Amino acid sequence: MENSSPTSAAPSRTLATPPRVARKDDTVPSPTLIDVKGLDFYYGAKQALFDINIAIPDRRVTAFIGPSGCGKSTLLRCLNRMNDLIDGTAVKRGEIKIRDIDIYGPAVDPIELRKRVGMVFQKSNPFPKSIYENIIYGLRIQGVKSKTKLDEVVEKSLRGAALWDEVKDRLHESGLGLSGGQQQRLCIARTIAVEPEVILMDEPCSALDPIATAKVEELIHELKKQFTIIIVTHSMQQAARCSDRTAFFYMGKLIEFDETHNIFMNPKNAQTEAYVSGRFG
Amino acid sequence: MKRYFDSELETFRSDLLRMGEVAVRQVRDALQALVTGDVKLAERVIAADDELDDLEKAIDTEAIRYMNLRAPVATELRLVIVGMKASHDLERVGDEATNIAKRAIRLAGEPPLKPYVDIPRMATISIEMLRAALDCFIHADSAKAIEVVKRDLEVDAINRQLYRELSSYMVEQPGTITRALELMFISKGLERIADHATNIAEETVFLSDAQDIRHEQSLKKSGLTS
Amino acid sequence: MTAPSHFYTSRHSFQRRTEGTIVWAFRLATYVILLCGVFVIGNICLKGLPTVTGSFRSLKQFPYVTNTFLFEAPESLYIFKHEGVKREMGDTEYRAFREAETARATAEGRPVPEFKAQSYVYAAGGIWPCIVGTVLLVVGAMTIALLLGVASAIFLSEYARDSAFVRFIRLAILNLAGVPSIVFGLFGFAMFVLYFDWNVSLMSGWFTLAFMVLPVVITASEEALKAVPKGFREGSLALGATKWQTIRKNVLPFALPGILTSSILGIARVAGETAPIMFTAAYVVRDKLPWEVAKFGDFFFQGVMALPYHIYVVSSKIPQNAYTQRVQYGTAFVFLGLVALIAGSSILLRNKLRGRYQW
Repeated sequence: MENSSPTSAAPSRTLATPPRVARKDDTVPSPTLIDVKGLDFYYGAKQALFDINIAIPDRRVTAFIGPSGCGKSTLLRCLNRMNDLIDGTAVKRGEIKIRDIDIYGPAVDPIELRKRVGMVFQKSNPFPKSIYENIIYGLRIQGVKSKTKLDEVVEKSLRGAALWDEVKDRLHESGLGLSGGQQQRLCIARTIAVEPEVILMDEPCSALDPIATAKVEELIHELKKQFTIIIVTHSMQQAARCSDRTAFFYMGKLIEFDETHNIFMNPKNAQTEAYVSGRFG
Repeated sequence: MKRYFDSELETFRSDLLRMGEVAVRQVRDALQALVTGDVKLAERVIAADDELDDLEKAIDTEAIRYMNLRAPVATELRLVIVGMKASHDLERVGDEATNIAKRAIRLAGEPPLKPYVDIPRMATISIEMLRAALDCFIHADSAKAIEVVKRDLEVDAINRQLYRELSSYMVEQPGTITRALELMFISKGLERIADHATNIAEETVFLSDAQDIRHEQSLKKSGLTS
Repeated sequence: MTAPSHFYTSRHSFQRRTEGTIVWAFRLATYVILLCGVFVIGNICLKGLPTVTGSFRSLKQFPYVTNTFLFEAPESLYIFKHEGVKREMGDTEYRAFREAETARATAEGRPVPEFKAQSYVYAAGGIWPCIVGTVLLVVGAMTIALLLGVASAIFLSEYARDSAFVRFIRLAILNLAGVPSIVFGLFGFAMFVLYFDWNVSLMSGWFTLAFMVLPVVITASEEALKAVPKGFREGSLALGATKWQTIRKNVLPFALPGILTSSILGIARVAGETAPIMFTAAYVVRDKLPWEVAKFGDFFFQGVMALPYHIYVVSSKIPQNAYTQRVQYGTAFVFLGLVALIAGSSILLRNKLRGRYQW
């Protein structure tokens, strides 16, 4: 009678072949570029951000999600000090360090900061000038006059924004003559023309149709090779498609910050789970 | 419009196809080891099962990630779901092949009970079904897939016949019981492999036509061959 | 046969009749205004045109045609009979004629004819100095008003933080709009003529008129600046521009059409007001033209003749007769034409800018 138990032929359990799914570059850890520590932010007497601690990685896409009024746009606008333009706002505690320099420190000029931390707005706002003039606006205010340099920057930025082929024949026509998606890409081109380190995007696709949205998302995927991108979005599918890390905010607090796959697959916080599965409120 | 995550789906498909290739190879090699009594071949089959297990885990991980992050719809969604199920079926095929190989090792030292005719015949049909099912999957050919489903009854018939034969052997010559039992289990294994091939074919129909044709007895009966 | 009744038939014929009546009332109001405007302007044009066109004279040399009403100074009119023919002549012409006739009579040995003439002051000649004076006043006052007004509007709308003080400033500006123009004249007289010791001069007139028209300019400029979308400012600031760079490049050019529109209103007012310039800038008569000055500095501190003041003078300060009436209507006609010309060029400029800075 044969013993049906396995004989010496059974080898020890080893990984015969490594898993076929190639480890993506994006999940390789990246150093921190922006380090927010203990940030408290006030609109006048009302506190809008409570003890925010978040480390944004370099050359990755980070998404901020959360319900309306949770403070994600406020935090975004803190990163390039656009909140300074509103009366009565103040950072009462904590710091935001970009490359170890506290941007609310005394020696920091917000004008210089905004040249290195660019912003794309929800409602695309191309200036009512020609496409060419739009792109070189940032350079003109820095005093760049050389026409060859300006031409070069225009072509580079439009190629970078995946808009060159569509507009190369009409650079001197008004930027307002473009479609919504093209206008938003024009604004992105304008932002990257000054070669910032960080691009902040405040719901860039909320006013766009799905095809234009897809084009902008493809663009973001290309841009992250060169720039650190932070995108505020109401669309969770967009956060899932585009971002490498996602931060969930609620009522001015950071609830959870993790790799996007984990946030949507296995969030640690019950509120996060409720929000991403659409059961919030 | 091409999206940057299209490559993830391509990886998924190619992993599935690779798994299919490996599974088919495993069954073929296991039968070869049985018929020729090649113990070394059988041991290689047993060792290679790890590759199928890893592939199943990888495919499942990839599928879950794709569904989580890319929110697929329509064909993509069906592909991901079918892929997950098919990988399970293929992994089970691999396990059956491994079991056949283990039994082949045990049978190798002893003289064969009878010339191997039916078992290779079953194996041929099962392997053909598996290949055809995978082919249909690649080409999303639902018409051919339905043919695969119909052939399952052939294999069931051979299995029942072999069962009767081996039972009578065991009754007449009790000394052959151990070998006969091994052969019965091998036959059962091949019948299970054919069932898994049927499953894959049904999943292919779901992939290409979004129709669920599982558990349709009428379909199988209409393919009853003489 | 009545129409079949369904969901959408009209049920409220009373309201529709009321609507019809109201619309006709609105139409009537508009037409009444139109008629009045046509009547007034038509009257001036009809009576003033002959004075302007009738004073064309042809010469035997370049420029072959000249116009006395527009290009000569006011003179007295002399009506007299000579050799049985009634003639009317202006002062210079009369003197020349008298000399010529006397010389001719003496040469022919006839007795010197007697020249008895009735003179009407301001009834002959032209209004050239008035035109020059008005143009100077308008250009100067509008320049000052636009500079001060736009600067103030930029400060109020872009830089100043909302506080009780700023609201008070806005209230003060609005109140300024309601101040009667004679009060402005008195203010100008007290401040610029007496206190600053500028005397009756272009400078005093400029500043008085500028202050008079400032509220309109500031309010309209603020509206024009507010109308520029916030996105232009945000976008520019986000690229690292200073606030002034943003305003200069991205806000002000697009607000210019609106600002110029306000200036059109201002021009009409500045050109037409008599009370402010009565004490501060205008002379009844001045024989020197403004550019005939001893040194450059004197240009700003001289008084001028002005069209609205001249109309006032020929209408009320001198005895009325058929001859002065010609001059009155002629001046009024020229005045309307001048304002239309300045306003027209301002509109042209605004349209050109609108085309360039459209959004």
